[in-house]
Amino acid sequence: MLRLELFKIFRRPRTYISFLIMTAVTFLIQLAMYVDGTSFVSFAMAGVGEQFDIGGNILNGYLVTYLVLQSLLIHIPLLVALVAGDALAGEANMGTLRLLLTKPVSRTGIVLVKFAASIFYALLLLIWLAVVGLGLSILLFGTGDMINLKSDAFVMLLEHDIMWRYMLAFGFAALAMTTVAALSVFLSVFGDNSIGPIIGTMGIIVVLTIFSNLEVPLFNVVKPWLFTTHMIAWKGFFDNPVPYDAILQSVMVLVVYIILFIMATIVVFNKKDIQS
Amino acid sequence: MRSAVRGVLLIMLLSGTCYPASAQSDSAAVLFEKLRSRLDVIKDYVADVRVKIDISFMKVPPLNGTLYFKAPDKMKLERNGGISILPGKNVNLTLNSMFPAGKATVIDAGTDVVNGKPVKVIKVLPQQDDGQIILTKIWVDAERNLALRTETTTRDNGTMKMDLAFGRYVRQGLPDKVTVYLDVKEFKLPKGVTMDYDIKSQMQPAVQSDKKTKKGKIEITYLDYQVNKGLSDEIFTETN
Repeated sequence: MLRLELFKIFRRPRTYISFLIMTAVTFLIQLAMYVDGTSFVSFAMAGVGEQFDIGGNILNGYLVTYLVLQSLLIHIPLLVALVAGDALAGEANMGTLRLLLTKPVSRTGIVLVKFAASIFYALLLLIWLAVVGLGLSILLFGTGDMINLKSDAFVMLLEHDIMWRYMLAFGFAALAMTTVAALSVFLSVFGDNSIGPIIGTMGIIVVLTIFSNLEVPLFNVVKPWLFTTHMIAWKGFFDNPVPYDAILQSVMVLVVYIILFIMATIVVFNKKDIQS
Repeated sequence: MRSAVRGVLLIMLLSGTCYPASAQSDSAAVLFEKLRSRLDVIKDYVADVRVKIDISFMKVPPLNGTLYFKAPDKMKLERNGGISILPGKNVNLTLNSMFPAGKATVIDAGTDVVNGKPVKVIKVLPQQDDGQIILTKIWVDAERNLALRTETTTRDNGTMKMDLAFGRYVRQGLPDKVTVYLDVKEFKLPKGVTMDYDIKSQMQPAVQSDKKTKKGKIEITYLDYQVNKGLSDEIFTETN
């Protein structure tokens, strides 16, 4: 059944649009950095540059990949939602959901398979991002030490100490995208067409991301409980030392959200009166 | 007669107090000139170094590289294609840069002990007032003609302290290890731009520091020197 779900996903043109969008955005960032990266680096480093002389190949493949990830990991949830939001609502829209339920598979099984197919798609997106983001950036800009600018710190990582961080960062991003997929599948159970769950997913992520990043003391109480606060924990791997405790806490929060979303989806889907 | 004796006594007394002072001042000036002439012998050097940066907002691992120096103030750290970090143009990590260029007034500031060694302390004030340096205090090991510590007050970069440890290259007057203590300005970027992952600070309100500047420390360990090889200026022009 999983194979059938994957066939459905990869048969649709919109699935490949996501890969095209990601390639285009990555390529545009790389092009911009190739043409005018030096000005960007000077601008970004202005605060440190007035006190220190920083030389060497700052604009290398590792830094460009970080910039690509920083830009794209806000947009990838939209691309994940394009497919995951369609999981159940798309079937309802096409009128094939009742037909699907005639198969000798439980409703819980159907939800889990739909969710697994969405995760598979999200993982493929991330692998593609690793290829065009990390692979192509290294090819174009070479490797070297990496500088990571935080709001109150200047972190420098040595060349030999970077690749494992990217591996773990992509691993964490997979967990973050799984959370988005779980949210989308959950919203998908309520809709009769996929537009609602897709826009709903994006709306929730945009609003919660604003909550997570706004420096207002009132929001500090809710921030630790929002999954958007923890979705950027991949950045922790580029700190020195790596805040493993905080990352583990983020992993746990995201896993709890994934379980909650999927459990809720199963409960709602099992109780739902399917009319289409 | 009485007044004549009084006058003679006064002259003797005045000359008695002035003579040692001028002698002290001379010896301080001589000490400074001896130090400066020893430094002047070093026209350039290339050294393998290990740099440790200990500045509150900088998380930088120890850096190995090659340090190029050309008198009076050219310096460059090269790291085999890696990123190098040195204090900005107005702060130099060489002893030469801590000494005011041109004519200077040298004052004896007594004695002190640095790392268990008795030293003479001199204060150097540049006579030209258009330079960066306002005052330099030097702790001099008079016996070996070495500066073991300097404290330089600059116009724009606060006060900078430098500790020098000598060992294998003492004959050339070159240190094995230099530790520079400097004032660094606070580093801040908007969180909306960097989108930091920092769970703790997200839960707690940010604590604003009163101090705009903080103390920092840069430690350079010299592993090997090649002195006066005739370095060209092109080495110091950034090629990246």
